[in-house]
Amino acid sequence: MENNKPPVGQALLAAAMLLPGLAHAESPPERGAISVKYLYYKEDQPGLDRVRVHSPSVSIMTPVAGEWSIAGSATVDDVSGASPRYHTAISGASQMDDLRKAGDVTITRYLPRGTVSVGAAFSTEHDYRSRALSLQGTLVSEDKNTTWALGIGGSDDTINPVNNLVVNEGRQTLSILAGVTRVFTPVDIGQATYTHSSGHGYYSDPYKLVDNRPRSRDQDTVLLQWNHRFIERDATSRLSYRYYHDSFGISAHTLLAEWVQSLSHGWTITPTLRLYSQRAADFYFDPVYDAKFGAPFPPGYVFGGTAFTSADQRLSAFGAITAGVKVAKQIGKDWSVDLKVERYEQRGSWRVFGDGSPGLAPLRATSLQIGFTRLW
Amino acid sequence: MKARIVITLCGAVAALSGCALPPVQPWERGELARPDMLIQGDALETRFNEHIYASKEAASGGSAVGGGGCGCN
Repeated sequence: MENNKPPVGQALLAAAMLLPGLAHAESPPERGAISVKYLYYKEDQPGLDRVRVHSPSVSIMTPVAGEWSIAGSATVDDVSGASPRYHTAISGASQMDDLRKAGDVTITRYLPRGTVSVGAAFSTEHDYRSRALSLQGTLVSEDKNTTWALGIGGSDDTINPVNNLVVNEGRQTLSILAGVTRVFTPVDIGQATYTHSSGHGYYSDPYKLVDNRPRSRDQDTVLLQWNHRFIERDATSRLSYRYYHDSFGISAHTLLAEWVQSLSHGWTITPTLRLYSQRAADFYFDPVYDAKFGAPFPPGYVFGGTAFTSADQRLSAFGAITAGVKVAKQIGKDWSVDLKVERYEQRGSWRVFGDGSPGLAPLRATSLQIGFTRLW
Repeated sequence: MKARIVITLCGAVAALSGCALPPVQPWERGELARPDMLIQGDALETRFNEHIYASKEAASGGSAVGGGGCGCN
C-alpha cells in the first residue's frame, strides 16, 4: 500500500541526516538536500508581551565521493521584547533587541561498519559568543540491528553584557555521549542515549537582579526513544522520554508523543503533545521578599554576600504542556513543504511529583514554522 | 543520584540489547527505512525547539554533543 504512494517526507529523511547525533542511517546519502525554514515565536504572560523571535534558517547536506557527506546550517534569530528582571515582575522588565547568528558544519565518513563525524558550531550575539567542536563515532553490529554510538564535544562561550556587570566572562563545557539503537522488529526501533556535560565559568544571568549562581554545572540526561509503525493505519507513533538532572539541584521529566498520519496525495498530518515538569534549583527563592529591603531581595539578603540566589522563573518548579500540529506535503519527487503550529503554557501548579513554585504568572508561547526542502 | 542514572541507563541498554528477539532481516526493513521511523527528526525543527525550550526551561540537551550555545542560559 505504502509503496504506491509518493515518498512522503523523503526530503525530511535527507534533512534529518543533517543533525549530528544519533540516527539509524549508517549508509552514505545518495542525494543532497537543501532546507529553508522560517520560525516565528512569541511569548507572553498576563499583562506583559515578552520575547518575540523571527528566525530564518537554511541547511544543506551533500554526499561526497560516495563515502563522505558534508552538512551545514546557518540561522539568524532576530530577538526583541521584554523579560522580567526577577520572578514574573512586570515593572522594570528589561528590554532587549538582539540579532543572533549561528552556523555549524559536520563532515561524516562512512565506513563498512559505522561512521565517524567531526563537527564545528558557532554563534554570536552582540553580548555573547559560543564556539563548539564535536567528534562522534558509530559502530554497527554484524546483523545490522544494533548501533552503538560514542561522542565527545567541547564548547567555549564568552559573555560581555551591555550593562557591564561583568567583562569578558566565559564558560567552558565538555560533553560526552553514549548511546545504543536497536531494531526490535520490522516495525519497532528504539534508542537509549546518555549524555554528561561538565562546565565551569559564568552561569549567572547578568540581566536578572540578585542572580548569583555556582561557577560550575554538571548535567546528566537519559533519553529513551521508541518509534512504532502501524502498517494497517499507515501511521507511525514516535515516543520519547528524557530524564534530566544537574548539580543546581534541578531534575526534570520530558515526555513527547507524536502521531505521524499519512493521508492521500502526499499529505501528512502530525499531532504532537509534550509534557514537561521540573524541580526548582536549590538556590531559587520564591517571591517572598526581605521585610526591610523589599523586592527583589530574598529574606535575610546580605549585600556583597556570596550566597547563591536566583529569582529566574526558568529555575523555579513548574510543569508545562505543549500541543501542536504539523502538516506536510510532498510535491513531486524532489520538493516538500511543511507547516507547524504549537502552543505552550507553563504553570507552577502543573508540576508533577511535587509542589510547584508559588506566586509566578503563567508563561505562554506560540510558535509557527514553515519550511521547504529540495532534493537533488 | 548518579547511581540512579547509571541503573536506569543499564536497564535501558539491557532492554535495547534484547538478545531474545529474532534478528530482523535486511528484506524486512522496508518500514524502518521510512523517514518517520528515523529516530532523529527534522534537523532545523529540532534546533528551533532546543533553542526555544532552553530559553524558558532549565533542562536541555540529551541527543547530541557539541551544539552551539546561546546567551539565553
